[in-house]
Amino acid sequence: MPKKIMLGFSIFILVSGLYSQELTGEKIIQKVNDLINVETSYSKSKMTITTTSGQKRTFISESWTKDKGEKSLIRYLKPVRVKDQAVLMLNNADDIWMFFPRTQRVRKLATHAKKQKMQGSDFSYEDMGGGGEFREDFEARRLEDEKKNDYDCYKVELTRKPGSDISYSRLLIWVIKENFYPIVIEYFDEKDPTYLQKTLTQSDIEEIDGIPTAKKMVMQNLNDQTQTVMEVLEIEYDMELDDRMFTERNLKR
Amino acid sequence: MKKKAFFICAAMLILLSITPEARGDVDLFGYYEAQVMGAEVRGRFYQLFANKLRIDLKADLSSSVSFAANFDYITYHGKKQWNILDFLSSEITSKVPEAMRPLYVIPFSDRHFLDNAYLRLSFKPFDLTLGKQQVSLGTGYVWNPVDVFNIKDILDPTYEQPGHNAVRADVPIGLGSTLTALYSPGDEWENSAKLLQFKTRISRFDFAVTGIEKTWVFHDYTVFDAALMSFQELPERRRLLGASTAGELLGLGVWAEYAYNWMETTDDFYELVAGADYTFDFQTYFLIEYFRSTLGKSDYRDYTLNDWMRSFAQEQKAVSRDQAYFLIQHPATDLMTVGLSAVCSLSDHSLALVPMVMYSFSQNVDIYAYLNWNTGKEGTYFASTMGNGGFIRVRIYF
Repeated sequence: MPKKIMLGFSIFILVSGLYSQELTGEKIIQKVNDLINVETSYSKSKMTITTTSGQKRTFISESWTKDKGEKSLIRYLKPVRVKDQAVLMLNNADDIWMFFPRTQRVRKLATHAKKQKMQGSDFSYEDMGGGGEFREDFEARRLEDEKKNDYDCYKVELTRKPGSDISYSRLLIWVIKENFYPIVIEYFDEKDPTYLQKTLTQSDIEEIDGIPTAKKMVMQNLNDQTQTVMEVLEIEYDMELDDRMFTERNLKR
Repeated sequence: MKKKAFFICAAMLILLSITPEARGDVDLFGYYEAQVMGAEVRGRFYQLFANKLRIDLKADLSSSVSFAANFDYITYHGKKQWNILDFLSSEITSKVPEAMRPLYVIPFSDRHFLDNAYLRLSFKPFDLTLGKQQVSLGTGYVWNPVDVFNIKDILDPTYEQPGHNAVRADVPIGLGSTLTALYSPGDEWENSAKLLQFKTRISRFDFAVTGIEKTWVFHDYTVFDAALMSFQELPERRRLLGASTAGELLGLGVWAEYAYNWMETTDDFYELVAGADYTFDFQTYFLIEYFRSTLGKSDYRDYTLNDWMRSFAQEQKAVSRDQAYFLIQHPATDLMTVGLSAVCSLSDHSLALVPMVMYSFSQNVDIYAYLNWNTGKEGTYFASTMGNGGFIRVRIYF
């Protein structure tokens, strides 16, 4: 009997070891995409920008996503300066419309606008929108596993595919082995793949509706020496969201 | 006048003093704006100070009924009367009889008014908006040929526009198309503005086709009607058919607008806009826009007093036929954006340069500084004799 247990245990170790080794970079990124790009979501977030001079700017916004992040809508609640401004992103943020409440004007933005900082923060529209960009725009290569922020992680290098218009030439992602949650992402310069531009660190991970969710995200801009902290105040997954939510009509609400 | 101002101030104070609990779902917000403007005109320096208080109310009365309104209270100080003739060439002003010269004064009088106040009813198949509301048409950044309701300030094109009294229905067709019908009542049906617009999305482009009928009031600024105490009105029916688009081409944001205007008595004319913008990797934003209006003249020696006055009074969008606008902006720091815009008349080769700085002083305080430098020769659209100046604007949101 003990021999059988030993044999079974050995097979388990061998299989799980093989499974772990068979996980290619592409497969890891696929699992990350499947995890973070939920069918629908609603969240209310607080974004705090710390400027180079140490001043702080705080924004509170609500956002809705559908079809694994392919559609998203962001509406600002605070500060008053941007109250009711809204951004609609469709086709993984390839189509962007912005609504300005004081003039009731909707302006269509081209994809180059994705490079612009969102309300002056260290997040660009590109960083916020788009569900499948990791797989569509990059080729993944698994590097040696590493421990990061006390988690055992897979480390994956993403290199921009030829023809992609994404603003980063390379990403390095640390993915928690236990749940495939990306805990740290390093963004490298559009032209120089060795020049580290920004680092995103996700923490305070909680299971919400069975989905691991970082309640805090810190984007550090090493270029500008600034930092933006995004805190999730409310979050909900897989609720009913009508497609009409992601239209110009609703953008102007 | 003073009584009216007192009652509006009292109403605003009462609204502000109501506790958030008592206000329920009513949002009360707005801004105070202080602006100082200076201009050097023919060797003299003038100043105009303006204080503007805007109070916004917004209430979502139910999931399908909302109400929004804003009051504006504006006071002016300094040089409150500007004579347009001071800015024009001697070629034009020499023809104005001495007795009529004081009539060309534009006064900056203190004013307070209900700028917007509208109710929006959202039914499943359509939205109905009733009341004084924003009507923003077209895709152009500075000029909008299809917009017969507003004319933007070319030096500050994103500044808010006044509300217009109207009934508007927006009917969504599928997920990407909308049919809009708007009726802006005049004193009778004939003189009321009627608009029909169909907007849709094809591939990466938004398209809109717009038809408008409106009574357009030009003035003859060489004939003064003593009985009405105003220049002679020349109302005529204007019918407009226009198309606009916005999308992306070769990585650039692109837009275009065209409108043909059938006039009841004067010559028909068309207006055209084409523009493009791009954000570079280093965050610099660049925009260019071209505008043609066949209402404008191609030779500056043909500009008349009426052309100038109609342009100042926002009865027509430009004095010259062809013009271009350039804008370049760059975030100098994380709180400050610097920029330069240039407006030039391609018809008379005059140019105005507008350097600008936008600074986020604190969470809800923005400071804007604009300079305006006209470089053209006398008589042209952006003649140096028009004066050079600028303004500083501080806006505090609450």
